[in-house]
Amino acid sequence: MTIALFLLRRLGGMVVLLLVLSLLVFGLLALSPVSELTTLLGTQPSTPEAVQAITAEYHLNDPFLVQYWHWLVDALHGNFGQSIQSGEPVGSVIVSHLPVTLELALYAGLLVLVLGVPVGMAAGIRRGRVFDRGVSGLTIVGMSAPGFSLGILLIYVFGVALNWFPVFGPGGDQAADRVAHLTLPSIALAAGLIALIVRQTRAATMHVMEQDYVTFARARGISRPRIMVSYALRNTGLPIVTAAGLQLIVAISGTVLVESVFSIPGAGQLMVQSIQSADIPVVQGLSFFVALLVMVVNLIVDVAVLIIDPRTRAAARG
Amino acid sequence: MTNFTTSTQLDETERAVDGATILTVNALRVTAGAAPGGRTLVSEVSFQLGRGETLGVVGESGSGKSLTAKAVVGLLPGGLRAQGSIDFAGHQLIDATHRTWRTLRGPRISLLLQDPFTMLNPLQTAGTHLAESLRRDKSLDRGARRAEIARRLGEVGLAPEVADQYPFQLSGGMRQRVALAAALARDPELLIADEPTTALDVTTQAEVLQLLKDIQRRRGMSLMLITHDLRVAFSICDRVQVMYAGLLMEQSPAAVLATDPGHPYSAGLLIADPPVTHYVAELTAIPGSVPHAEDVVDTCAFAARCSWVKPECTAAKPPLVSVGPSRTSACLRLDEIREELRSTLDRIDDPAPPPALPAADNAVVTVTELRKTFHTRRLVGKARHTMALDGVNLQIAHGESVGVVGETGSGKTTIARSLLGLVTPDSGQISLDGMDVSNYRRLSRLTRREARRFVQMVFQDPYTSLNPSLSIGTTLREVLSVRGDVTDPGEEVASLLGRVGLPASYAQRRPATLSGGERQRVAIARAIALRPRLLVCDEPVAALDVSAQAQVLELLRDIRRSDELSTLFITHDLSVVRQMTDRIIVLYHGQIVEAGDTATVLDNPQHTYTQRLLKAAPGVLSGADHAADPAWGEGEA
Amino acid sequence: MIAANVTAELGGRRGARRRIPVLPLLCGLVLLVVLVCVFGGTALAPDDPTAQNPLLSVSPPGGGHLLGTDQLGHDVFSLLLAGTFPSVVGPLAVALGCLGIGAALGMSGAYFGGVTDTIVNRFTDLVYALPALLIAIVVLGVVGGGYWLTAGVLLFLSLPYEIRLCRSAALVQVRLHYVDAARTIGISPARSLFRHVLPNIMPTVIATFLLDFVNALISFAALSYLGFGVQPSSPSWGRMLSQGQSLITQNPWLSIAPAVLIIITGASATLLGDWAYERLTAAGGTR
Repeated sequence: MTIALFLLRRLGGMVVLLLVLSLLVFGLLALSPVSELTTLLGTQPSTPEAVQAITAEYHLNDPFLVQYWHWLVDALHGNFGQSIQSGEPVGSVIVSHLPVTLELALYAGLLVLVLGVPVGMAAGIRRGRVFDRGVSGLTIVGMSAPGFSLGILLIYVFGVALNWFPVFGPGGDQAADRVAHLTLPSIALAAGLIALIVRQTRAATMHVMEQDYVTFARARGISRPRIMVSYALRNTGLPIVTAAGLQLIVAISGTVLVESVFSIPGAGQLMVQSIQSADIPVVQGLSFFVALLVMVVNLIVDVAVLIIDPRTRAAARG
Repeated sequence: MTNFTTSTQLDETERAVDGATILTVNALRVTAGAAPGGRTLVSEVSFQLGRGETLGVVGESGSGKSLTAKAVVGLLPGGLRAQGSIDFAGHQLIDATHRTWRTLRGPRISLLLQDPFTMLNPLQTAGTHLAESLRRDKSLDRGARRAEIARRLGEVGLAPEVADQYPFQLSGGMRQRVALAAALARDPELLIADEPTTALDVTTQAEVLQLLKDIQRRRGMSLMLITHDLRVAFSICDRVQVMYAGLLMEQSPAAVLATDPGHPYSAGLLIADPPVTHYVAELTAIPGSVPHAEDVVDTCAFAARCSWVKPECTAAKPPLVSVGPSRTSACLRLDEIREELRSTLDRIDDPAPPPALPAADNAVVTVTELRKTFHTRRLVGKARHTMALDGVNLQIAHGESVGVVGETGSGKTTIARSLLGLVTPDSGQISLDGMDVSNYRRLSRLTRREARRFVQMVFQDPYTSLNPSLSIGTTLREVLSVRGDVTDPGEEVASLLGRVGLPASYAQRRPATLSGGERQRVAIARAIALRPRLLVCDEPVAALDVSAQAQVLELLRDIRRSDELSTLFITHDLSVVRQMTDRIIVLYHGQIVEAGDTATVLDNPQHTYTQRLLKAAPGVLSGADHAADPAWGEGEA
Repeated sequence: MIAANVTAELGGRRGARRRIPVLPLLCGLVLLVVLVCVFGGTALAPDDPTAQNPLLSVSPPGGGHLLGTDQLGHDVFSLLLAGTFPSVVGPLAVALGCLGIGAALGMSGAYFGGVTDTIVNRFTDLVYALPALLIAIVVLGVVGGGYWLTAGVLLFLSLPYEIRLCRSAALVQVRLHYVDAARTIGISPARSLFRHVLPNIMPTVIATFLLDFVNALISFAALSYLGFGVQPSSPSWGRMLSQGQSLITQNPWLSIAPAVLIIITGASATLLGDWAYERLTAAGGTR
């Protein structure tokens, strides 16, 4: 079996998974305590015409699975119906909220990469020293500080008390303004992730540095930079990539909260507002999008592991 | 004081070995933790190594042999500190700077480690390991580098194609060869090999040792071989030094030490190691266990276990003194007891007639056409199928001991586990005294209970076969509660401990506070607590030190005789099988290739595999006369 | 192996003369205080947390109110004490449920293997890879739900984590020979699991219990911050945080105090779990 075939099989598995998830996402409509019709009508007056239009559009008279089928076919075309709130197509509502979320994610991701991995490696190598102990203590606090709690503290200290950063909204279109507005939210979002990545990296580095192959490399006179890159970094890469994939998924939940705390009109806040106003089509669309994102992240992790690890490569070839 | 006399004496005695000395270690100490409260792990070790010389450093675990080696290459584990003096060709290695090490490690000193499965970077090919180790030579182009790598692989007996393979694609022996090639890539003058063959199968062990010896001779390189096995040291070393509890006990030319030990400990090690060539009436072990180096600072470290101990031995630490041409010993009474030491060796040199074979007609165990294939489904990729047993037949008579001999992957452990119902065979029959126990899951509760009492097992690793969170007493009482007929568990536990030679007070202790040999005794006590009729021993001494091995073997012999137990004895070690069994079967890839009574098979092996196993046993190895047989090379991939 | 032995021994020796573990003790104390407040928070409160005082709407600390008041004139300190119950009981229940079900499923999965184990395994792998908190937000947000439904959903979503960890810890033990030995002696599987496997995976079980608690604490707070699942009326820390956010310039304590409480409680539990894990695994000393 070639690698491509292996990836294709993984992809197949993910499509099946996506179908299951989509069924659950679609089922959200049925979960809602009020009737589907009422939910979908939203604020419209329930005139017979409106009822008829909705019933026809969402195939409400058909059995559940048929309804699902129609929804799925539409969903795969990117059509999730109209937002009950605004009446706009769900797809365009979501797309209009995505950019600022992406900026936030990118900013936070950058912080995680720049701080998490190097600090973790340094702590792992300097095991037991003051630096390591300080970092380990901080990671425990970081892990236990949810983004919204940390966000409030950041808002008070840097926004209200020191007045260094703006604390509300995404800022204007100018880059500097954006960065200023997104700094605190990014820190709030990244702190927990950095803590986890530092811990994982530290543990992985400690493990690798204790391995015989590192001792043997030193005994043969392999240079220190080479040991750090080809031995330590590559071997710690495996657990870190897997962990990072999971963290990325955890971060999706974090984004929702952080956007709420800092009133950033991104996809996360859209999710909260749509739930609050029972705008089920938008919630469905967003959930489907998240499911897709989760699949993609998992696929990327798979590919990354294949690139790093010859054993997995060989196993994939069969 | 001690180290002054020691060093002067060394200067006189060592000159005979070779013209030039490459390594001089003087009063080496290795301590753990900060200076005043630090624990001593190696103390006052002094020795020299000549150019082109091969020195064997022999000792049991805790003797400090590995730490001595690691101190010489400056790679002590974190938290350990070396003091004293290590002079390598004019460079002082204690607390040497990074820059000094850069010029030494690799091009002049190199180290080969024990475990070929952890020594190589799993993400790099064999070729990359070599390429990164070779001298950076800009003038070489890609082709020339590849050719050089192929040449290096050839030197260790590997094909050029191996360069493109990853460690996980290679067998243990091949990995160890790749590691050797990498360690030698910069053509060092001194190679330190720390138990380089211990993790390998017997046949591979012999090949790698032979290779090491050949390369050492061809290159005229100095070699320091760390091993726990005297026979391994004798087979390739010019000179051997014996370490015990962090101290040097003696140093002698290998050939001399083998017949004329210069220290009671060396003599003890020699006779604790049973011969493969003949049966020995009584296996002699060194009583007790190895002390910590720090507990024997001002006494002879071996005094507590020595049969020749006198008050003067415990008054002060005896210095290492010259006792003959190129020999030193730390025994105060050597002159008086030398003859006695020499004669103790006769105990294992005298062949005794093996016990008579039990009548073969009343079989307690009959195994017919046993087959088992393991299927491992992996997260990615295809399932793997490994044939462990391929139609195995065997019978064990009442009171008989049957040995199963084979290397890793031969299926010998699967036989044991099938007998105990830990593995369910695919087909075939197992009958215990008429009970069909081929599939334990299908047995009625009552039959299963009966079967469980009929057969018990002693596992290989005493470090994992006892529950670390339970005291010894609790572990034994649990078994006794299963037996049901015990009225006074406390007394019964004490008597069980007594049977395996442990004091009753051990009932209160946890496994972590026991030595390996003691743990294995407890495991034996647990197995015999149910009064089984068949005892399965799966490599019961493989994880133990030499001196503890003999104790456990003799205990097993004793229990077998007194209880008329049938035993199935699984081992890779032919000398153990010679001492412990009446009949043996030789297993290769799940099939029996040879069977018969022990003496006949070992004296006159018929199958080529058995012959090869015998040839590979350390101590049988002699000189460079038999080269590695490529047909058999790396059979266990 | 020698190196490993040496460091293990060193650890033991160092442990013997180690000074009193101040930080873990402090964390234990914090958790103890929190636990006391769960059941006696309302009684300990200096003021009636429900007593309104329209004259003192959103006042900063002072005048008998340690942390000031909220917009209805409630005493913030008293609110915090009373809020301990809804903030902590749910997470505690989730963690306890996880402990019981997860450890049982994980251990028996590791011991028996087979089809059930494979199914449970696949399922946990699947749920493990999904954003749990987001699922809780969406489901509880759409359904409405109450306090215990929230606990149920969070329990369901955190189980995979617990099962996975217990299973892999138990798998290590099950492969050791002492479990085989128990089997060959004729000890029943259930007894083997509880007597032999469980004590040896205790470090993992305890550490995961505390981690589950922290995660549930954060999730409960997050949900009540957003106003989903948990009754909006319950004065939990998460709820106070969201109410206080808009008043941060008038009385910052209204939002900062619950935020700090969540962080301190969580960090204490995490640190204690970490410390206990390291101590217990070192003390177990399998090798």
